[in-house]
Amino acid sequence: MTVYKGYMYVAKKNAGMFLLYLLIFFGITLLFQMMNGDKGVSGYQAESLKIAVIDEDGGAMAQSLKSYLGEVHEVMEMEDDAAMMQEKMYYRDIEYVVRIPKDFYQACIVNGKKLSVTQVPGSYTAFYAEQQLNSYLNNARVYAAAGFTEEEAAKSARAAAVNVELLDIAGNAGKISDSLFYFRYLPYLFLGVLGYVVGSMVSAMRCGDLKMRMQASAVPRRRQSIEGLLACGTVALVLWGIVAAAAVLFYGKELSGNPGNPYYILNSLALLCVAVSVSFLVGSVSKGINSLNGMVNVVSLGMCFLGGAFVPLDVMSAGVKKAAQFLPVYWFEQANDLLGGYGLDMVKGKVLQAVGIQFIFAVAFVCITLAVVKRRRTV
Amino acid sequence: MIQIENLVKRYDNLVALNHLNLQIEEGEIFGLLGPNGSGKTTAINCMLALLKYDKGSIRIFGEEMSPDNYKAKQQIGIVLQNVAVFEELTVYENIDYFCGLYIQNKEKRKKLVEEAIHFVGLEEYRKVRPKKLSGGLLRRLNIACGIAHKPRLIIMDEPTVAVDPQSRNRILEGIKELNQQGATIIYTSHYMEEVEQICTRIAILDHGRVIAVGTKEELKSMIKTGETVTVEAVALKQEHLQGLKNLPSVFEVQYEEQVLTVRCTGAKHNLIRILNYLQEREIAFGRVYSELPTLNDVFLEITGKQLRD
Repeated sequence: MTVYKGYMYVAKKNAGMFLLYLLIFFGITLLFQMMNGDKGVSGYQAESLKIAVIDEDGGAMAQSLKSYLGEVHEVMEMEDDAAMMQEKMYYRDIEYVVRIPKDFYQACIVNGKKLSVTQVPGSYTAFYAEQQLNSYLNNARVYAAAGFTEEEAAKSARAAAVNVELLDIAGNAGKISDSLFYFRYLPYLFLGVLGYVVGSMVSAMRCGDLKMRMQASAVPRRRQSIEGLLACGTVALVLWGIVAAAAVLFYGKELSGNPGNPYYILNSLALLCVAVSVSFLVGSVSKGINSLNGMVNVVSLGMCFLGGAFVPLDVMSAGVKKAAQFLPVYWFEQANDLLGGYGLDMVKGKVLQAVGIQFIFAVAFVCITLAVVKRRRTV
Repeated sequence: MIQIENLVKRYDNLVALNHLNLQIEEGEIFGLLGPNGSGKTTAINCMLALLKYDKGSIRIFGEEMSPDNYKAKQQIGIVLQNVAVFEELTVYENIDYFCGLYIQNKEKRKKLVEEAIHFVGLEEYRKVRPKKLSGGLLRRLNIACGIAHKPRLIIMDEPTVAVDPQSRNRILEGIKELNQQGATIIYTSHYMEEVEQICTRIAILDHGRVIAVGTKEELKSMIKTGETVTVEAVALKQEHLQGLKNLPSVFEVQYEEQVLTVRCTGAKHNLIRILNYLQEREIAFGRVYSELPTLNDVFLEITGKQLRD
């Protein structure tokens, strides 16, 4: 196992970098967890605006509209004073003014007349308020058209407008689990650490005359390759072991009894294979430690940004998502998000598909590396 | 021990080895001498099966050399041009590691490593890491890593490049000692003095071909020059130059910037004859040198250019 020992010597030299990446990883994970806090459905609150209402009607429908707006916004009654209204809007004491005309029900609900509003020009909050207002008016118009009296329509429109129920598919009440953040950033850790450490091991063994000395030695080439792979596998498994132990330590309670655990493990192992194969490729094509450094940064950060590790896949444009499908990190994140966001039974097939695609990527990277190495040997 | 026949190696349009033929016997210190780019390192790499070649054959220890001929590789030690050691390991660990590529038995290896350390004189540095060693000490470590397993054949590719004179002498003496212990050595260099000093037989390479091969005496006897006499600060006329050229055994006279260079064949008393000629004509002169032919002269006469061009 002399060759194996040689690889491990190089790995030991990079122990500092290994620890640094671990620290960065745990730091980022904890930071995002803290930022996420305990936000779930209970933590959701619609944005509240300061809305002034000039009520010239005072009827049941007008009262209902004011109550509806008051559910979300800060509503204040106001005199019909144009100068005062302009001043308050200028100083942003109010952001939106609704004028409820006399005979509101008949004019606006039954006959469909447009409600008069005043808003700060170009303000996005105005669109937001208008959207809610229109939603209420449309509901009221539907009830009125169905033959409801003003009182009945007012009551029903308000009830329909505020009755929103979220579907809790994953059974986590909308709360993003802390462990999801942990798994989301794994690609950066795996690609960064293994890219650097395994890349250094491969690069060191093929740098200059050392490679020639190894090739000219009495240790068969196949055995050298096997021992090299074994050494890289050892480093990868040590990293995976640390990550798994930390997951149990930090999220043991949350993860215990989770039926998705075997799939999380499988997904992380698939990613580990991808990271090792990418590291092999990077180590095989880099020319020295500086170029390795640059390549590892570009590959790990690039894959993580595009693959959805740093920016959730949900907020990415369709084009970027399509391009990201050509990266293994995308499929890791896809499986991760599915496991964290839905019940296992619903997504088992898709998760396995994503894991399989990652393994295919790993094989592809190994093939590319072998082709590169073979091409060099035949020179 | 080594037979190379019609070896051809091309890098695209560049012919690095052009039908190279060599035969190296057991117990020799065989020198491969040639200017940079003459094909020395390419020839070595082909011998070690590190490079594929286009044509020809290489037999080592009577067997065809191939990347998978580990039986032959077991008996070969290599000392490459650049120092190839692990920076993370100490001197001892490095030698042990490379010895371990050939010798599995720990006890035996320990003994061999100690011997190698002693051989290159690195006893005081066994726990030192390579980056703390001077250039000369690093070269010695490089040699120790290549010879620790006591190979039958040692291939050394310019092992004294960028080495101080003291370390160089030690390395050259070491090579002779290894040879006396029974190892056959192939030594490449573009330093002709080194090759002359240690090699029992020499092949001169140019443009990937062997242009001359033999002992240093045989090589020198191949050329016309037997002695070169140089006389400084001398004022000569054309008639004097003609007179010098007519002296016995003189075949070439050059006179530039008051320096006279006379090339003579291998006959005796050339210097006395030339000085007598100058004294008889009362021509004053400064310093006088007499040089026997070098391998550079051999190269110069065969190729028309200097070894270090």
